[in-house]
Amino acid sequence: MADGPLRGVRILDLTHVWAGPLGTRILADLGADVIKIEAPTSRGPREGARFNFSGWIGGEPGDEPWNRVAVFVKLQRNKRSVAIDLKTDAGRETFLELVAVADVVIENFSAEAMPALGLGYDALSRANPSIIYMAMPGYGKDGPYRDWVAFGPTVEAMSGLSHVLGYGPEEPRNTAMALMDPIAAVNAAGAIVTALREREATGRGGFLEMSLHESGVVFCGPWLVEHQLGGSVERIGNRHPAMAPHGVYPSRGEDAWVAIACRDDRDWRGLCSLIGAGLDPSASLAERRMGCEAIDAKISAWTAARTREEGAVALQAGGVPAGPVNVTPDMTADPQVRERGFFVPLEPGPTPVPGNPIKMAGIGSGDWTPCPRLGADNAAILRDWLDYDDERIAEMEREGVLADKPPA
Amino acid sequence: MGGYAAGYCGRLFVQAGCDVVRVETGERPPAWVSDAAMDIYLHAGKRRIRTDDPKLIAELAARADVVVAEGHTADAVEALGFDAWDAPVRAAITPFGRTGPKRNWQASTNVLLAMGGYTYIMGDPDRAPLTLPGHYPEFQSGAFAYAAANACRLAGESEVIDIGMLEVVMALSQFTTVMWHCDGAIRERHGSDFYHVVPTNLFRCADGWAHINIVPGFWDPFAAFLDLPELVLDERFGTNELRRRNRHALHAIIDAAVAPMTRAEIRRRAEDCRIPVGVVQSLDDVLADPHLAVRGFWQSVHGGESAPVRSPRRAWRSDGQTPPDRDLALLETPAAEGRDG
Repeated sequence: MADGPLRGVRILDLTHVWAGPLGTRILADLGADVIKIEAPTSRGPREGARFNFSGWIGGEPGDEPWNRVAVFVKLQRNKRSVAIDLKTDAGRETFLELVAVADVVIENFSAEAMPALGLGYDALSRANPSIIYMAMPGYGKDGPYRDWVAFGPTVEAMSGLSHVLGYGPEEPRNTAMALMDPIAAVNAAGAIVTALREREATGRGGFLEMSLHESGVVFCGPWLVEHQLGGSVERIGNRHPAMAPHGVYPSRGEDAWVAIACRDDRDWRGLCSLIGAGLDPSASLAERRMGCEAIDAKISAWTAARTREEGAVALQAGGVPAGPVNVTPDMTADPQVRERGFFVPLEPGPTPVPGNPIKMAGIGSGDWTPCPRLGADNAAILRDWLDYDDERIAEMEREGVLADKPPA
Repeated sequence: MGGYAAGYCGRLFVQAGCDVVRVETGERPPAWVSDAAMDIYLHAGKRRIRTDDPKLIAELAARADVVVAEGHTADAVEALGFDAWDAPVRAAITPFGRTGPKRNWQASTNVLLAMGGYTYIMGDPDRAPLTLPGHYPEFQSGAFAYAAANACRLAGESEVIDIGMLEVVMALSQFTTVMWHCDGAIRERHGSDFYHVVPTNLFRCADGWAHINIVPGFWDPFAAFLDLPELVLDERFGTNELRRRNRHALHAIIDAAVAPMTRAEIRRRAEDCRIPVGVVQSLDDVLADPHLAVRGFWQSVHGGESAPVRSPRRAWRSDGQTPPDRDLALLETPAAEGRDG
């Protein structure tokens, strides 16, 4: 487990997919003791995987494929795992005992899932009045859409983002990467530390609700305000309403690109000085926007003769914001990222995983632990937190209440 | 103080009830919206001051619990006097972080998204990659700074926090990085098609667009949604893998079925069949969304002579209660002239 300012904070993490596990990864990186409360089937079947579109950690499924699904593993570092069947009376009883000695419970099921198990906020707060409970349903626990089935991409359309994302006015686009999930995740981490601080002041726990939908609308807030002020908000592809030139330009090589932006006249003059090509260094922003197609053509001719790195480095030398459109091997090889030790070869393989973007004294990756095996910490947690003896734990294992592998 | 990352961080502190002082220094970076809209969104509820006086800034910092400073480079943050400030928690947000060979590289939102791996996977396969509009690296960095600063305050620890926006973008990759390291594959862009789970795509309907996201458990009810129950028995589409292989045929079927439906009809059918479908909402639609209205999502921001404007409250609610209709004021930004103001 990682050390950090949240050391000693106990979090029961019932989340799945992306938003929830990413949020709890941020908290675990800050030192919280995050316990994944998992169903024995949560990581997929004993053979293979339900979904696996990003490979196996270490390159092979191995003897325990459920523990090696890369897209799952990358979100679970610094956590511990208790695999317990909450559909049994004994599982629920033990879970409520864990709640009684925990600080935070977080889940991202549909609005009714936890109440249907008898584990809604009311039940949990009876077990521990100071518990902080965070639910992350798609559309919230109330309101007309409360029962709508939601995933990140469908919520994105509802948020207003698809309205402004696209190559032009003809067709919207979706990010195709469930952007609402990481937005909700980072805000969830903030919400929980806020609630912990409030509890410190008041002694009271509380119920928090993080709607994936509302997280997305918050991100779209500036456009929504601008629209009310009568401003124009349009889909303009890679152009920018307040910068010109601004775009993604072809580089030498297959599907290679470089991103460039001129924030102001100084950047523009720097770009003109480097590229030449008859570009007018005295052109105003309005003139540059008016002539953007001709300017983009000249920039493209220059960038296409260089690799994306060469183009970016040359422009940066002239003080112009520019960067290569990176794919993963570029990202991990970037000297900036390497010097700061951002990617951490933590998981078997070794598999580098993106690190913690919060840098401060006393937290680093040296004490990190990889994704726990399913149920790896069943006995340790129940002994340490609840004083269960070995016999009781063994009985729960025999009865299938606890598991360390999916059912056959 | 600084750009939109620090502004967003301050916005979160305002929403938590803190006394936030916005210090305007120098010029602001270009935004996707007007200065007025950005001020309403980011700075409502803050007290505001404009000054470039390092001594005054240091004095303000000495009386603060948390200082969040954003600079366009590492040197720019240091030039503000960051290292000498005497606040318990100091957070610096810069494009590339305070150390490393690119710490003073120039950046913009599109450059950070490109270098962080987001841009390559967005957009159509036969066109240039598509930059995400808006201020994603900035707002996410501000949210990270907020979480870190609060964690330090909770622990009673005095800390200096260094957040690089490039690393924030990289930290929030979906599965791009492990896909390469574990499967040797570069994640490609496929327009609005998520590609790995089929169908997950935008489809044109009678009055707009709908996004349909059908993971395997929803396949049978999706056939009912389309009013095409025969799809359940169609051997081309029996599993996600088969649907991936036959995506073009499936997309054509969905296109034809969805084209005559209105967005309202799509939503009604999706609700009846309990499948994940969203419709593309315009900004007017979002502002008029009955769900957001019922949930008390909007806050009124008053400022100057103009009519109140609705701005989103924070992304989470406490205690299941609709938050009070707490209006916020967008205050003027006086230049610091004396010590008594």
